[in-house]
Amino acid sequence: MSAIARARAANPRPRGRPARYGVALAVTAIVVIVLVASSVLDYVFLDTIPGRTALYGLLAVGLVTLGTFIGVRAFDRDPAVRRRHLIRAGVLLGLAVLLWLLVIDLYVFTSSAGPSVAAICAAACLPTTAFGLVVVRRLDRNEKEPWRLVLVAFAWGAIVATSMVIWGESLWSAIAERLLVPGPGLDVSTAFSAGLLEELAKGVAVLLLFLVMRNEFDDVVDGIVYGAAVGLGFNFLESVAYMTNLYAIFSPDGVGGYAAGFQWYSRQVLGLFFGHATYTALIGAGIGIARQLHGRRQQAAAVASGFLIAIAAHFSWDAWVQFFPIESSALGLVEIHLRTLIMTGPFTALVIALLLSGLRYEGEALRDQMQLEATEGTGAILAPEVPILTNPWRRLGQRMQALTQRGFKAYFALARLQTAQLDLAMERWHRERQEIDTPLEAEYELRKRVIELRRQAGFQPAG
Amino acid sequence: MRAVPYDPVRTLYRTLLIFDFVAILILAAGLAEFLYFEPPGQQTGIRATIAGVYQYDPTTNKTFGPERSTFTRTQLFAAVVDWKSLPPNIIVDARWYDTLESIVGSVGPGTPAQLESQPIVPVALPTNLKHNLPGQYIFVVERWANGVPVEVLARRIVQVERS
Repeated sequence: MSAIARARAANPRPRGRPARYGVALAVTAIVVIVLVASSVLDYVFLDTIPGRTALYGLLAVGLVTLGTFIGVRAFDRDPAVRRRHLIRAGVLLGLAVLLWLLVIDLYVFTSSAGPSVAAICAAACLPTTAFGLVVVRRLDRNEKEPWRLVLVAFAWGAIVATSMVIWGESLWSAIAERLLVPGPGLDVSTAFSAGLLEELAKGVAVLLLFLVMRNEFDDVVDGIVYGAAVGLGFNFLESVAYMTNLYAIFSPDGVGGYAAGFQWYSRQVLGLFFGHATYTALIGAGIGIARQLHGRRQQAAAVASGFLIAIAAHFSWDAWVQFFPIESSALGLVEIHLRTLIMTGPFTALVIALLLSGLRYEGEALRDQMQLEATEGTGAILAPEVPILTNPWRRLGQRMQALTQRGFKAYFALARLQTAQLDLAMERWHRERQEIDTPLEAEYELRKRVIELRRQAGFQPAG
Repeated sequence: MRAVPYDPVRTLYRTLLIFDFVAILILAAGLAEFLYFEPPGQQTGIRATIAGVYQYDPTTNKTFGPERSTFTRTQLFAAVVDWKSLPPNIIVDARWYDTLESIVGSVGPGTPAQLESQPIVPVALPTNLKHNLPGQYIFVVERWANGVPVEVLARRIVQVERS
């Protein structure tokens, strides 16, 4: 009996979609209902600028939702269908982003500092945020996540999550300011509001990716990558908002540029990885760990833990940052860095520890699966390829060799082959752990695809 | 007897659970801080009377013009409190908070009788700035207990326009 025939589906579902799609649909419906209801209520009862932004921004949010849905459908294996869906999703997401920026400019930033200041602030935040996204994506050294999903996560953080919290925080703030004594009590209340609402709004994105894109959501490493991408998106728009607002407040006294510049440094340099990226990465870590647990209770506990730790981390910063005042002397430059390191550092260290453990475990598991595949002699992965595939630098070296010897076409053909081989090893790993709900046929298809890619690339491994 | 194979995912899961405990401690400390500054059962029903918010002349320490809720950045303004409207046996103060929630003017704490000579509570300019910051300013009259303000007896919100 062949090795392939011995393998079995962990949770075969030959027909229909797995139940998790139903959960994802319910979560999406709740998000849309919350957005619509809250925007209308905010507009009617609060009549604030953020309220109007939320109302007019609904169209942009709707386009993001539709674009994401079509983007998910693009994961069809037929290249023609995939391309059509990707183009449609790209157009819709592009329209949504443009519309949203227009709304933001018109109703928020224009009223304070004007669209040109908003554009300059956004332009200042783009390179740092892009750098953050590249770094976050490269964290997954064994199997990088597709750019389209990383960007969807980023867009959710920047557009959907921010619009979800605008109404909630406006409402919370309006009620708290009428009921509470200004001072530390009100500050703590605001910190609870930010921690709870912002982390829930960001975490929903990671949860939906976990439910819908299970093939691209493998473990704790992927959860951290997607979570950090959502956090970077949120941080981007929040940075632009704070920079523009403080510029408007202080520009009549001639120090608007300094105020905006300080915000840029603290949010886009110092806080790029230490703030929202860390908080949402913690949510992603919880969901990623749940991905590989079996019992429903343990899965729920892992997801809840991620959210709880993220909420506590965010809360502690917002509530207690005032206890670390910064002096206006040169010593302040040291203090501001120390403050971030002391207050957010332990949570970032936890993310790094989970990431390194996850990478190590993932790497060992992939190596084992590749060796098994090579031993079975299916032709998808050959024995000499295993040490190359398990090392990202050697993979790159092999691609560079293909580039110098046979050009760009060979480089990309080899890149596609390596990705498919890693996908196959990942699929085998999940099947061995009984944590996959796609039928066994999917693995056969993947293996056939690897063999076909090898044939197309005309690639013969060294050694 | 077969040993249960080691699963690194369970180690990651347990790490999360340990940090859960830290998270609960942090949130509990936050709740305790909130309850310290917002102790329950402090609603006495007492209401202070704010006569209004007016333009303010620092040279004469007097207000002038009609009562207003919006000012420009160059206009100085002050709230006028009727301290006689309060019971004599309580400790109170009055404070202005600017748009960045910094205290930019206050009188007290003291008994209403002690504060009777200070009915006008002006807004002070922020350090190193020539004008008031634009945005929302909040004026509150607060009752104190155990060394902290615990109840807002009156509140007034004014807007400082950007231009």
